[in-house]
Amino acid sequence: MTDLIKEQKLLENVTNPFKIKGRVIRNRRVEVFCDKETVSSVLLYAKTQLGYIHLAHMTCIDWIDENKFELIYTIWSPVEKVHLFVKTKIDRENPVMENIDKIWDQANTYEREMREMFGIEFPGLIGEHDFALEDWDEMPPMRKDFDTHQYAEQTYYNRPGREDAKDVRETLVERSGTEVPDFAKKYSRER
Amino acid sequence: MIREKETTLYLGPQHPGITGNMMIKLKVQGDTVVSATTHVGYLHRAFEKLIERRNWLNAFTLLCRFCVPEPDPMELTYARAVEELDNREVPERAKYIRVIVMELARLQSFLLWYAGQAGSGGLYTMGQWSVGDRNYVLDLFEDLTGGRIYHMYIWPGGVRRDLPDGWTDKVLKTMDYLENRQKDYNQLMFDNTVFQKRAKGVGIIPKDKAVEWGVVGPPLRGTGIKSDVRIDEPYEIYDKLDFVVPTFEGGDIWARAMVRQEEFRQSISIIRQAIEKMPKGEYYNKVPNPMKWIVPEGQAWAKTESVRGEIGFYVASNGTNKPYRVHAKGAAYTHGVTVLEKVLPGQNIADVSFIMNSLGVCPPEIER
Repeated sequence: MTDLIKEQKLLENVTNPFKIKGRVIRNRRVEVFCDKETVSSVLLYAKTQLGYIHLAHMTCIDWIDENKFELIYTIWSPVEKVHLFVKTKIDRENPVMENIDKIWDQANTYEREMREMFGIEFPGLIGEHDFALEDWDEMPPMRKDFDTHQYAEQTYYNRPGREDAKDVRETLVERSGTEVPDFAKKYSRER
Repeated sequence: MIREKETTLYLGPQHPGITGNMMIKLKVQGDTVVSATTHVGYLHRAFEKLIERRNWLNAFTLLCRFCVPEPDPMELTYARAVEELDNREVPERAKYIRVIVMELARLQSFLLWYAGQAGSGGLYTMGQWSVGDRNYVLDLFEDLTGGRIYHMYIWPGGVRRDLPDGWTDKVLKTMDYLENRQKDYNQLMFDNTVFQKRAKGVGIIPKDKAVEWGVVGPPLRGTGIKSDVRIDEPYEIYDKLDFVVPTFEGGDIWARAMVRQEEFRQSISIIRQAIEKMPKGEYYNKVPNPMKWIVPEGQAWAKTESVRGEIGFYVASNGTNKPYRVHAKGAAYTHGVTVLEKVLPGQNIADVSFIMNSLGVCPPEIER
């Protein structure tokens, strides 16, 4: 196991100027935690001063029990070959986050997706409101309190002749009068 | 001089090129693209949401369908992220098998790319040949996993079953065949003046902007930048194998094609080396009952080099038997939206799908 010198150095270089906390996860992985106002400064600093020029990934996690959204920005330095995760938590009620598509253009795609899937607003975000969904007026679907099963039951219907939603094997037995082979029986759905 | 009016042209959504369903709104003047806006949303299947309702292993049935030409890198990346969360060791033999599977997946994806790239340039014979040859690679997958396209073979802790008897011999024979076929492919495509004239100087990605734009994989190496997850952050046993990461200057379609031409040879060489060095032993560090398997709380990021560039998975667990959040980011997420919108202005309408193929745009991966 390496002694993680460059990871420690990166951690100090990022945490000291901004007085934020962080840790080295393992080799090539460092994470820092900051409040939402500091995120863009940290990212810009890492990009311009430390050489973390590649935005590898951005994502959001809905921590419904804490009533928070966690936003994770993963950036990568092609020289140091280390990932830096910049993490922040924002309120789940009326979530607003700073738009960083001035720092990386491709952040626009991630932000448009997050706006649609989690309902997070990014002021000044350009691009069409619909990303993958069209005319969606329900709750943003990637939120944990959106129940896909309930939505499917309310929105879709069984096709004619299958209203009872019975197991296909049972329906075949009824219609054809033949027995289900033993090996298939154990897979029958329990209702 | 005749002044040409600006017109709006909707390209797609029915398979522009052979990439998948997406639509590009082009503003054109004559036959030159002035600006391009991409629209996805025809292939959203809510996989990430559905995975949250399934247990850790059930997720594999959905993961491999993120991007049709490349199911295996998705499986491997997710498996590696889960292994990191669970601190699960992978047996040495399984690592070799995984590398062989990954490189076979790369070859089959290359052969499909040949068809798309040559086909969108008007060379239809190439597609007939390469898709035909791809079936020989799919035969190997069928022998190994039971499935031709979707395999669900790589699992956390290793692979699902050991190699069948005589399978490696069959692989080596197929490699010899594919290596010999390179001559025919070169004559038909890479040495073909039609292809060269259409590819050179078209769809240029500037070298100084490439990393910042989020370009990865062959398009990045086609600008002369040496970058590959297999050497930048070696996984499995790639650090024990001898292979070259090709680069080519230019940043155009031709450069990307040259990179892929060499990578095809490298994949064949990697498979031969892995088969030669593969040890005997266990192939699976068995996970507990999958229905009750609890993965410890935490978050992990894993990335893998697919044929179109890096694929990354961010996986979060809250200490239950289901993933709390799985997010996948493939190469197409940047290539198919922002990079494409930057590259297209100034190009000819006929080159749009040609450029899309060379960038490895895969719409099902963008929206998942």
